Amino acid sequence: MLSENAVKEIGLIRNKYHDAQSSLLPALYVVQKEHGWLSPEALKEVGEILNVPKAEVKGVSTFYAMFRHRPIGRHLIQLCTNVACMIMGSESLLNILKERYGLEPNGTTGDGRFSLVVMECIGACGTAPAMLVDTDFHDNLTEERIVNILEKYK
Amino acid sequence: MEKFLLRNIENPNSTDINEYIKAGGYKALLKAVEMKPADIVSEVRKSGLRGRGGAGFPTGMKWAFASADPKKPRYMLCNADEGEPGTFKDRPILEKNPHLLIEGMIISGYALEAEYGYIYIRGEYPAAKDILDAAIKQAHEKGYLGDNVSGKGVRFHLYVHQGAGAYICGEETALIESLEGKRGQPRIKPPFPVNEGFLSKPTIINNVETLANIPYIIEIGADAYAEIGSPDCPGPKLYSVSGHVKRPGVYELPMGITLREIIYDHCGGIRGDKKLKAVIPGGISTPILPADAIDCPMDFVNMPKHGSMLGSGAVMVFDETVDLVKVCYRAIKFFEHESCGKCTPCREGVGWMRAILERISGGSGTAEDIDLLIEVSNNITGKTFCPLGDGAAMVVQNFVKNFRSEFEEKIH
Amino acid sequence: MITVTINRKKIELEKPVTILKAAGMAGIEIPTLCNHEMLEAYGGCRLCLVEIEKMPRLQTSCTQYVTDGMVVWTETERVVEARKAMLEFLLINHALDCPYCDKAGECDLQDMVAKYGPTTGRFAEGKRRHPESFEDPIIVRNMERCISCTRCVRMCSKVQGAYAISMVNRSNKTFVEPFSGGKYDCEYCGNCLTVCPVGAIMSRMHRHAYRPWLIEKEVDTVCSFCGVGCSMVLQVRGNSIVRAVPKKGAGSNKGLLCNRGRFGYDYVGSSGRLDSPMIKRDGKFQRASWSEAFTFIADRLKKIKDENGGSSIAGIASGRCTNEDGYVFQKFMRAVLGSNNIDSVASFGYAQAQRFFEGIFGQGVTANSMRGIPNSDGVFVVGGDPTAVNPVLGLQIRAASGKGVPVVAAGYMPGLMIFATSRLIPRPFTETALLSALVTELRDIKGISGKGPFDILINDIPSVSLGEAEEVCGIPSEDMRSAVDALSRMTNPSIVIGRDILQQPEGQACLLLLAALISLLNSRIYLLSELPNEQGLVDMGCLPDMLPGGRHLSVESFRRRYEEFFGVDIPSNPGMGIMEMIEAAHDKRIKALHVMGEDLVYNMPDSAYVKAALSKLDFLVVHDIFMTETAQLADVVIPSLSWAEKEGSYTNLERKMQLVRKAVEGKGMEEWRAVSEISKLLGFDMDYKSSVDIMTEIANVSPLHKDIAYADMAGGECMWPYKGEPLRHGMSLEGIEMPDKGSLLKKPEKDRIYIGIDKPLFHFENLSRNSAALSSIAPEPYMNVGKALADSLSLAGGDSVSVSTGTGSLKLSVQVDPDVPENSIMVPDNFGDKGAYTIMKWKMNSAIKAPVADATGVTIKKIKRAAEEVAV
Ligand SMILES: Cc1cc2nc3c(=O)[nH]c(=O)nc-3n(C[C@H](O)[C@H](O)[C@H](O)COP(=O)(O)O)c2cc1C
Ligand code: SF4
Ligand code: SF4
Ligand code: SF4
Ligand code: SF4
Ligand code: FES
Ligand code: FES
Repeated sequence: MLSENAVKEIGLIRNKYHDAQSSLLPALYVVQKEHGWLSPEALKEVGEILNVPKAEVKGVSTFYAMFRHRPIGRHLIQLCTNVACMIMGSESLLNILKERYGLEPNGTTGDGRFSLVVMECIGACGTAPAMLVDTDFHDNLTEERIVNILEKYK
Repeated sequence: MEKFLLRNIENPNSTDINEYIKAGGYKALLKAVEMKPADIVSEVRKSGLRGRGGAGFPTGMKWAFASADPKKPRYMLCNADEGEPGTFKDRPILEKNPHLLIEGMIISGYALEAEYGYIYIRGEYPAAKDILDAAIKQAHEKGYLGDNVSGKGVRFHLYVHQGAGAYICGEETALIESLEGKRGQPRIKPPFPVNEGFLSKPTIINNVETLANIPYIIEIGADAYAEIGSPDCPGPKLYSVSGHVKRPGVYELPMGITLREIIYDHCGGIRGDKKLKAVIPGGISTPILPADAIDCPMDFVNMPKHGSMLGSGAVMVFDETVDLVKVCYRAIKFFEHESCGKCTPCREGVGWMRAILERISGGSGTAEDIDLLIEVSNNITGKTFCPLGDGAAMVVQNFVKNFRSEFEEKIH
Repeated sequence: MITVTINRKKIELEKPVTILKAAGMAGIEIPTLCNHEMLEAYGGCRLCLVEIEKMPRLQTSCTQYVTDGMVVWTETERVVEARKAMLEFLLINHALDCPYCDKAGECDLQDMVAKYGPTTGRFAEGKRRHPESFEDPIIVRNMERCISCTRCVRMCSKVQGAYAISMVNRSNKTFVEPFSGGKYDCEYCGNCLTVCPVGAIMSRMHRHAYRPWLIEKEVDTVCSFCGVGCSMVLQVRGNSIVRAVPKKGAGSNKGLLCNRGRFGYDYVGSSGRLDSPMIKRDGKFQRASWSEAFTFIADRLKKIKDENGGSSIAGIASGRCTNEDGYVFQKFMRAVLGSNNIDSVASFGYAQAQRFFEGIFGQGVTANSMRGIPNSDGVFVVGGDPTAVNPVLGLQIRAASGKGVPVVAAGYMPGLMIFATSRLIPRPFTETALLSALVTELRDIKGISGKGPFDILINDIPSVSLGEAEEVCGIPSEDMRSAVDALSRMTNPSIVIGRDILQQPEGQACLLLLAALISLLNSRIYLLSELPNEQGLVDMGCLPDMLPGGRHLSVESFRRRYEEFFGVDIPSNPGMGIMEMIEAAHDKRIKALHVMGEDLVYNMPDSAYVKAALSKLDFLVVHDIFMTETAQLADVVIPSLSWAEKEGSYTNLERKMQLVRKAVEGKGMEEWRAVSEISKLLGFDMDYKSSVDIMTEIANVSPLHKDIAYADMAGGECMWPYKGEPLRHGMSLEGIEMPDKGSLLKKPEKDRIYIGIDKPLFHFENLSRNSAALSSIAPEPYMNVGKALADSLSLAGGDSVSVSTGTGSLKLSVQVDPDVPENSIMVPDNFGDKGAYTIMKWKMNSAIKAPVADATGVTIKKIKRAAEEVAV
């Protein structure tokens, strides 16, 4: 069930567009922010609010890499592995995450603290390698730096 | 060169509207609303401005097409999807100079009689989204946005719309689909967005940097603007430089500056003074150039003559230590991941190229694999629905063409 | 004029079309996969690439329009290589399990690979794995075969309007899925199956039984499940139907079908079919020979006629029977038994509405093609959900909505809700309030143009303000206001009318108000028709007061014509209607009833009453294909042939006469043949050798059907009066009562829960219970209830409830649907002793001679929670 707040927020978003379906992506963000992921029930509910058929909602949401259709940990590490980051060492960062937290791409730590997804370019190539933790940018990562940063996310 | 696009961004409060105004911001808007919309369009046309999103399409021409379509309402869209790997040139505008973009959009909206604008920003830029939202709020409060822009009875409403991780949504018709809450797959053209775009209404789409140039053109006039940079391709340009240079980052330089100047004069040369091996000059979709081909003027007109393209102006520099086969593999993996799945050659063919590259890169390739790879890429070229798939094929073709020996070395 | 050259052939065109179309016109075939004539262009598969001179890139011919002077090549080396490359790409993620695939032999991909090569792909890595999904009762999904052409999704969303499936994920991970990922829970039209070019989605109904090369016979016929009369092909192997498919471009359906038409045919092969005449002796049925049975019937009917006169005998026909059956049956009743007591369930609304509008406008039948609905500038729907009653007609309304045509939906119609621009859902039985308010408003806006008698009548309709109406029907004034705005802008809208509008206490007033709307809006009428040959029943004179050809019995000259033709007198007084017959049986005013293919017990309201009435008859004959509840009560049962086992014709709701053709052999006998045999024994010679003879007679005697022959119907566009005289009645406003304002504004009783009939998409009368396929989609009876009522009774979806009236009670499962009218429940009538009719009381409305719901209330008790049910 969506919270009253979420429903209200979606209602406000709805007003920004001349057509209800246009508010689908922002509405899905609202839900994902609240639940961490998009459950089938949530997709259905968003569809009902916006009058978009639920199968369509699913087709749309699964198109986009940043919508998650499985529950995730408390913090989401989105580590870029595209070319600029790769040549600047993102592979060794992946190794560190595996060694230190047992984290594999698309996996979650046993304690539910971190989930990891590898990203295509996140627009920080000049300060590569880079990642987003939740919505925070972190760049110029080194093996040491990444661990220090992650220690701040409990 | 005097900076315009990145003017004021060192100011820690650069996103604040008062700071922006203090530095001369919103003056162009006040000037523009005194002009006739059609005059702004012809001014932009005269300036010679080309779209900075990658294709270099003359902006004034696009605007003239849109003005000619009587359907209303019209929509003004800003393409802030910036998904091309290596590209991070729009980000400083979005994060540090949001009012420049907003001012550009309001002027454009006024010129094109579009009352609604949306900034489609990639999901990977959450901070920029918040900054834009805040800046829009300020602009509203100052009366630059709303039902009565600057007290001139002009209507312009501006919203930010967040994408959710799909490179293809940078393609303008896929962007529109995505904005309509659909799967971001490109549309059949024609009809073109200028006639039937967002919600089937005339829609103008421009890149962030393109729109950020508009206040400058209004401010200094089309003639002065046309003096900057290359004659056929004027104006200031943002180059985002990454990889093995000493000072990577975003540089505002005139159009037509050479790659060599960018790498050696502005970015301080190769990190650790190693040897340069290759450069991708305009984002990962543009053909890779060997080290001896960097004396090319970086603009839309000249780059094709030198075997590559300006693209998004994202310069990726590779020193002698780089395994280019692996880079090629990683690039194609990106295209496979980002293929929207609409057309056969891209959906299936790019994955096949990735599989072959994975084999070669991993050391289990055979002698025939390189030819097969080229053949598959040729079977993609020219047959895809949109440029994404073609781009992927072109990447492979140019890597192999320029660095075939590296591929051969991987095959035992 | 545009001239294009394709492969050296010059083609002249009036207006630009795609290269693909232009090539098709010139007989040049270009291979395609994602393109389909029922769908908009997509441009994804890239198979249709062609070379155009002066264009460097190959272009997709399905999206590229021709321009004057264009020169196109479709088979150059470059094109052929590209095609081959696309096929090789497609094989990367295609299972290539043709030997096991039901599609083999009619698979576009297989055919193309055979034609253009490559024989094997060079892709060395493993293909994508995606186990076949059997989670749905009807549709098997094999995504290892899917080529992402999206034809199914475009069909489902853009044409069917069901939005049940979508492409999920992207890139080479894309595939098709219903929302649940397993079960489809959709409208099961199967139109996605029609368009899938490969074996990725297939019907489970004929899994492994169907292979194109095993088909021995294909029979062009029409569907038997509603008055749309969709064209279809029955594919036959041995003596069974293995598949029903639409015929490309044919009929009003033009390639579409609904779930009933596509999957419901399996009742034909059901083991419950009657295979021998039965005579009841000492309360037990015994098998009998044909002649034994006919003699038995003739003797009994003769005796009753001799003793009590012809008027003590009545006949009930069925809309499932053909025109030929109906014609012969009414002739039998009138000429042989001397009785005008002949009627059918068409008199529950369809015939009444037609007759009523005829009186006012001179014509009441649907006089327009349903394909015209999307081209009108507005649609007003009332009295039933077209997408359930006449599904393929319903799609026309959805198509209209898709084109931006305003659709005003008045009443509960779940299948149109997301398509309607105005949704007006009145409280139970308050349609008069809504309609009279609309009439009042539109009368003001549009003004009365003429001074004709009906215009005067419209002026006399009491004025009802939106506020007054809101008070009664509960629809917010502003919603009605915006509907009025939409309606007032329409210049030639389509008005779609279902029979529910009549089945209420103020049915006649509703008809009058609708007639006023039709007149004010200058609209075209579309009458929904639940039965495949409901119009045929009307046309063939299976009505107590009409003779074949749509003419009243009271028209002397017309009656004479038939009397001369039959060689006997026909009683001039109208006979009894179907409801009167049941009452008369109850009172023993009629002694014998001859029923031709109708399960009266379950297809009429108040099953217990009907049963009791039938039990009181001296003699009951029933022709049917199953031992129905009604047949159980008969003295003699004659097995009939199903629609797939005989020849004849149906007339659809557009007046289109279409051929019904024999696909398989049955063990019964055509109704017309059995009736002729009985007739002969009664001394009236009916010497028909085949249905052709009967149609020849009809074409001779009925002015409406003058000179019509089967050959005309085979053409597919045979609307009566084909060569005959058009039907225009003298207008007469006689008998129309002007309702007073009070009766228009009758409020529903407080605290009463009303019951209404739900017309489910998945069932047809009580026949479809014999279809395993349809029963697997919708196995159990249910009750639809609105959110507010559900909450007040603390009911949730899936709960079990018992619903009772004074007449009886039903155990039903709950479905919550916010659109159900306030304080009411909707229950289907298709589940035999678990159907709504078993607990509903109806009464006769004498003005329109139709049964109307006796608006009594129900009580609802919860039996079990959904969760408990699962736990049990
Ligand atoms: C696959 C693909 C990705 C693209 N990505 C972007 C992008 O991220 N940002 C952008 O501005 N333009 C992008 N474009 C170009 C746009 O389609 C469009 O040409 C541009 O937004 C027009 O703006 P401009 O005329 O100001 O350059 C992309 C094009 C393609 C084919
Ligand atoms: S080339 Fe085809 S599959 Fe690839 S992104 Fe474009 S439309 Fe989609
Ligand atoms: S059967 Fe009909 S409703 Fe169901 S998925 Fe297929 S097209 Fe859609
Ligand atoms: S299931 Fe069939 S129709 Fe649907 S996308 Fe796949 S191949 Fe095309
Ligand atoms: S719409 Fe009617 S005629 Fe057509 S397939 Fe369905 S039930 Fe049969
Ligand atoms: S490649 Fe990693 S941020 Fe651009
Ligand atoms: S048929 Fe033209 S692209 Fe598929």
